[in-house]
Amino acid sequence: MREIVYDVFARKDRGDSLAHIGYIDALDVETAKVYAWTTYDEQNWFEMCVVPRSAIIPVNRTDGPFARSGGEAGAATGGAS
Amino acid sequence: MSQFTEDELIAKVQDGYIVESPEEMTEGYKKALTVQLTVQADTELMSAPAYWMAARHAPSTNTQVSAHAIIQDELAHANIAYRLLEDLGESKEQLVYGRQPHEFKHPYGFDQPLDNWADMVVANGFFDRAGITLLSDVYENTSYGPLKRALVKVDMEETFHLRHGEVWMRRLANSGGEAREMLQRSVDWMFPMTIEWFGLPDEMKRHSGQLDYKLKGLTNDQLRQVWMASTVPLCEKLGLDAPAHWDEEKEEYVLDYPFPCQYVAEDKEWLFDEGEISWDTVFERWKGRGPMNEIYVESIQRSRSEVGGWLADQVAA
Repeated sequence: MREIVYDVFARKDRGDSLAHIGYIDALDVETAKVYAWTTYDEQNWFEMCVVPRSAIIPVNRTDGPFARSGGEAGAATGGAS
Repeated sequence: MSQFTEDELIAKVQDGYIVESPEEMTEGYKKALTVQLTVQADTELMSAPAYWMAARHAPSTNTQVSAHAIIQDELAHANIAYRLLEDLGESKEQLVYGRQPHEFKHPYGFDQPLDNWADMVVANGFFDRAGITLLSDVYENTSYGPLKRALVKVDMEETFHLRHGEVWMRRLANSGGEAREMLQRSVDWMFPMTIEWFGLPDEMKRHSGQLDYKLKGLTNDQLRQVWMASTVPLCEKLGLDAPAHWDEEKEEYVLDYPFPCQYVAEDKEWLFDEGEISWDTVFERWKGRGPMNEIYVESIQRSRSEVGGWLADQVAA
């Protein structure tokens, strides 16, 4: 079972900033949505989104998890990290 | 390879520097953080089967729901901690499904059976309180940014587990009779179990680096005191005997039994009368693991290879 990383973003209330709250591994977008919703259930979120990590393109850092995920190359396909 | 030497990184984190990526870590820092996260993840993971088997003793559908909500939280916490370990180059698959039962690093307390509802709620009241004590200290002091952010959720939910434990301890204590006796029996084996959980006393503590690297802020003895400062008054308020008291002169909580001492897992009994034993004897008991170790680990690992095998052909990405 090959899972990829999805980053989880959420805002608690209207007017709040969308914040990075964590990440989960999932087989596909559908399971990623379920895992994110059940794993990060500590708040009654106004909005939650998941993003495949490979779609996140670092602008100024060359280290850290986003840089390692493949950046632009992965973003083009939304593919696996 | 880190751009810092060990001494440079220690000086920086002591000065408030927050580490954000494994690339910044020295070998020593990474090793200390890996050990800390493995203990944290394994503890959360093993609490799940322990609570799951105890949830059968829930006295109502409402309490079944709260017990399972707690189990769900613990599994999410474990998942988050293993995920952090993957960032350090470990494999979640290997850690959860590739290890033998005795290789997990959770405390001995989660190798024990929770045999009734009183054991379950005292586990929430005592063990989850120990979890909050340890993790709040990590949250306040850790130099690792990703862990600090992950702990916001964890601390919030552990507080709910603790409240569940305390509310039910009060309910059982107030009802008197058999419920109260059962509660006292749970306190009798679980109080010393939690005290031992915090590990070696400071005077014997081998150098771990966790304080140098600012992966935590308080020493074992200080954490034990923090736990007792809420647990002893709680027991006193409920009229339960706890084997510790506040010492006016020393201005700290003092245990009323020889520490450490031997435990007979089959009887759930501490041998206070046989006096203090060496920590080597305690380590030997921990290493031998407790009666539920294999059962708990098996309950987590059992279906992985079978179901994983079924799905292997279907899932390409």
